[in-house]
Amino acid sequence: MSDGEIIAGFLAPHPPHLVYGENPPQNEPRSQGGWETLRWAYEKARASLDAMKPDVLLVHSPHWITSVGHHFLAVRRLSGKSVDPIFPNLFRYSFAMDVDVELAEMCADEGRKLGLVTKLMRNPNFRVDYGTITTLHMIRPQWDIPVVGLSANNTPYYLNTKEGLAEMDVLGKATREAIRKSGRKAVLLASNTFSHWHFHEEPAIPEDMSQEHPQTMEGYQWDMRMIDLLRKGRMKEFFKLQPQFIEEAFSETKSGAFTWMHAAMGYPELPGEFYGYGTVIGTGNAIMEWNLRKAGLSRLDPPEAESRGASSFHDSRGTSGHFSLNP
Amino acid sequence: MTVVSAFLVPGNPLPCLKPDALTWGRLVGAMQRAGRALAASRPDAVLVYSTQWFAVLDQQWLTRPRSQGIHVDENWYEFGEMPYDIHADAELAYACVAGSPKQGVHARGINYDQFPIDSGTISACTLLGMGTESTPLVVASNNLYHNGETTEKLAALAVQCAAEQNKRVAVVGIGGLSGSLFRTEIEPHADRLASQQEDEWNQKVLRLIEAGDISQLRQLLPDYTREARVDMGFKHFHWVLGALHGRFMGARVHGYGPIYGSGAAVIEFNL
Repeated sequence: MSDGEIIAGFLAPHPPHLVYGENPPQNEPRSQGGWETLRWAYEKARASLDAMKPDVLLVHSPHWITSVGHHFLAVRRLSGKSVDPIFPNLFRYSFAMDVDVELAEMCADEGRKLGLVTKLMRNPNFRVDYGTITTLHMIRPQWDIPVVGLSANNTPYYLNTKEGLAEMDVLGKATREAIRKSGRKAVLLASNTFSHWHFHEEPAIPEDMSQEHPQTMEGYQWDMRMIDLLRKGRMKEFFKLQPQFIEEAFSETKSGAFTWMHAAMGYPELPGEFYGYGTVIGTGNAIMEWNLRKAGLSRLDPPEAESRGASSFHDSRGTSGHFSLNP
Repeated sequence: MTVVSAFLVPGNPLPCLKPDALTWGRLVGAMQRAGRALAASRPDAVLVYSTQWFAVLDQQWLTRPRSQGIHVDENWYEFGEMPYDIHADAELAYACVAGSPKQGVHARGINYDQFPIDSGTISACTLLGMGTESTPLVVASNNLYHNGETTEKLAALAVQCAAEQNKRVAVVGIGGLSGSLFRTEIEPHADRLASQQEDEWNQKVLRLIEAGDISQLRQLLPDYTREARVDMGFKHFHWVLGALHGRFMGARVHGYGPIYGSGAAVIEFNL
């Protein structure tokens, strides 16, 4: 089997409003549109993904929150109806997805080797969270590519941002190694919003775009500052600033998807392709792509270099893991 | 009298899913005893607040007359499914939706097929035997931006709405005590409180609840919630306090123990 490849990673946020605005047949509620600039940005991302012909999509979602370890969907076929607990008026979506169980198992194995607690979700009645579904629908509405779904372990919230994101870094490295060994051609999806300050009441017509704007000027300015770094490929600066971004803009990158994705990609200092930005109930959402194949960076080498600077830990709460403070 | 009984019970589904684990089984027994007391109080409806039903926009109230399905917990799926068939008092819930703006809270009713009822509500319904046709619920969400004071106001509103409909109600706050969890897998039979300090805090607060010393409790709550990482700032206790207009005579602790390191208690309040 040839070594696997990470073709690309997408920043692919999950506001259910985007599905609602599109009116796909799977979603019950009907809208008059709305959030077009974000949906058009996703159209560009869809076209780019289509040309990549990946074997598998891996998505890390902030809305599958787990407290003991990092979990992976591991049922061959999952289907059902997902009703968003926060926006049930907008998102009641009938989903069906094929899961790459073999790759999920390999990711879990590699995570365990690096000291993470990992678990495989094998209950066929499990209802997949709306974050996973929204991101997958927006990037690939045909649902014809197998997926691996990863939970967001709540360490960044339960302990602190630094330790939590260090764990996501390890999870990314484990994911990278699993993809390498699997021979899969993979695309990664970080289901993160950026600034996450939001309205506390919904407009009478949710898709009334005259009501849509950034919740705070500070959040918007942070988003622009960070997107600009990403557009220029100044990733080290981004990750250096990320804790402050999380603190001051309440960025949802705290949940770990963005760190996981870039750790898996090897933190390339590569300009991201910016497809669009828009707010949803005041939160900041950017759709971006890092195409490693185009940049000649998609080949995955064995991880001998990545073990440097890493250390295992145990703390008094019974937490365990394997940290790397890089980058 | 509108409020005929009041309880605080854990929302973690592990006792419901795996009652054969010793400490979790004890909590199940305690829940069943509390459930018998709830039934004996003959309520027309049960006012429920669950810390695990998160909301961020508006205050949500369950207005669907009957919710049925099979629930799988996002953390504890390996222990099986939680079937549910929950009846709600929609008339009373709609009154709560209509009344919330008087408390300065924008509200909405939730009436959707396959809406994800949370693990805490389902677990409490199963073990207390409530949410049946004869004990329909009014369920309030936990808006993450509401504090204890707002939660008390909403509970008081629900009681007032019940009084206006001449209904007797039981009150149930669903949530945990101390919040430190084990972060690695443990043997369920070997469960214990993850932190001795949090255990001491829990027991101190339980003694004050048993004694009905509300003024001392109110003084300690900010320290307790911070020091013991109490589930959602103990808003489920504020729900009970609000429904009881801040008064109860004492309480009986039917059970106290660990759930994956966190603290859990089953409490019946003396009115």
